[in-house]
Amino acid sequence: MNDLAQLQHLGGPVATLTLNRPEARNALSQDLIAALRSAVARVRETPEVHVLVLSGEGKSFCAGMDLKAVLDDPDAPGRLLHALAELTLELRSLPAITVARVNGAAIGGGCGLACVCDISITHADAKLGYPEVDLGVCPAVVAPWLVQRIGPGRARRVLLTGGLMTGAQAHALGMVDHLSQDMASMGPLCDSVVERLAAGGPRALRATKALLNDLETPGVSREVLARAAELSASIVRTPEARESLRAKLGR
Amino acid sequence: MIEAEPRGMIKILRLDRPEKRNALTPRMLASLRSHIDTSASARAIVLSGAGDIFCAGFDLSLCRDDGNAMSALLEGLSGVILSLRSAPCPVVISAHGGAIAGGCALLGAGDIIHTTSAAKLGYPVVRLGISPAVSAPTLELLVGAGAARSLLLDSGLITGERAVQLGLAHQAHPTPASCEAAAIECAQMLAEKPPHALAHTRRLSQHLDGVTEASLSRALHASLNLVGGEEERLRLEAIWNKP
Repeated sequence: MNDLAQLQHLGGPVATLTLNRPEARNALSQDLIAALRSAVARVRETPEVHVLVLSGEGKSFCAGMDLKAVLDDPDAPGRLLHALAELTLELRSLPAITVARVNGAAIGGGCGLACVCDISITHADAKLGYPEVDLGVCPAVVAPWLVQRIGPGRARRVLLTGGLMTGAQAHALGMVDHLSQDMASMGPLCDSVVERLAAGGPRALRATKALLNDLETPGVSREVLARAAELSASIVRTPEARESLRAKLGR
Repeated sequence: MIEAEPRGMIKILRLDRPEKRNALTPRMLASLRSHIDTSASARAIVLSGAGDIFCAGFDLSLCRDDGNAMSALLEGLSGVILSLRSAPCPVVISAHGGAIAGGCALLGAGDIIHTTSAAKLGYPVVRLGISPAVSAPTLELLVGAGAARSLLLDSGLITGERAVQLGLAHQAHPTPASCEAAAIECAQMLAEKPPHALAHTRRLSQHLDGVTEASLSRALHASLNLVGGEEERLRLEAIWNKP
């Protein structure tokens, strides 16, 4: 199961966690989320890791929740969304600095994973965004993290408008911190950011991240995210959403 | 080391140590604070820096000989941030050329920030084992919590143009001289406005922004907690001992 999330740590301060489900554009299934959570737990137990890079295998970073797989089981969407909520909390509270290397599409829950990371990097042509409303569902679990990242005013516009934006637009909006002109130059850009982070004093990095996390509570908490997961799941169960998802997902 | 120039209804305060890129000492910070606190008659304050660079941050060479200097610098900076926020009138900053670390931390306490397009801004201090946490609450007011995370954790610097895009500065100008001139013009424009309405509006916006003495104190202590630790000592020694 752990092959779904590949954790690479060759010693030293940097580890890489890769979503490895390229045939499904790294869509978040129950198994993939479980694998990611177990990898994040291993990183937490490895204090020498100061920087964790999150990336996607293949052309996409993460296409979002794998709702197609859970549409026929009324309880499954809730389980999936609760697991995603826990994963985001675990990533945020990780003492290591997290870097999202958004190599391609980061959609819905996938965009949420990028926004929960401390620092994000992408290229001008990547596609990012929250098209949940277009599918008749509600991006409740990832919304609080987007609000934290770009502020409530801009988050409102992004979440209600739906659709996708380019990497360049996401950078201008402040949703992404670093932008390369194309996919080829993103690797070196990401390496230079990670190198700078890895050269930081580990205590100073951890203390600063802890203070930033401290300043943001109670904006995002386990209770808030659990309610969000319930809300999101209840909307997936509505006939409107089920019809819309079946039509859009081609089932 | 602080030059105070009253000009009509406004007061211009300049960090005046251009040979050291206006690097901050505890004495400069104390003097700056007292200048701000005694500017009750000014209708607007301009905070600027002599020369081509607004402020390169703390003068770390002081910490080599004085074990208390880092704490004094952090406490002094936090005090200036408090004073700028509670100033009786609006504060316009000319952050031309560069606003680095402690220099960048001053921006969050200002009301309107001018910079130069090619200026370098940021917080390259975690690599020295120093936490820039002290400026987190006010930085978040300007750029939001998301961009603040990247700016504080990553030692890389951003340009004045990107600073405007993020909200860290409000306008970018071509040269240091045109930047300071624009900041002065902006302060003069504010000084013409009815002062009571301005003061109440300023206080209201500070009330709404949620930054309190308690949150500033928590942030200061997050930075102070690391002072004197082994990580900071070894990393500062490495710079001092560089040939």
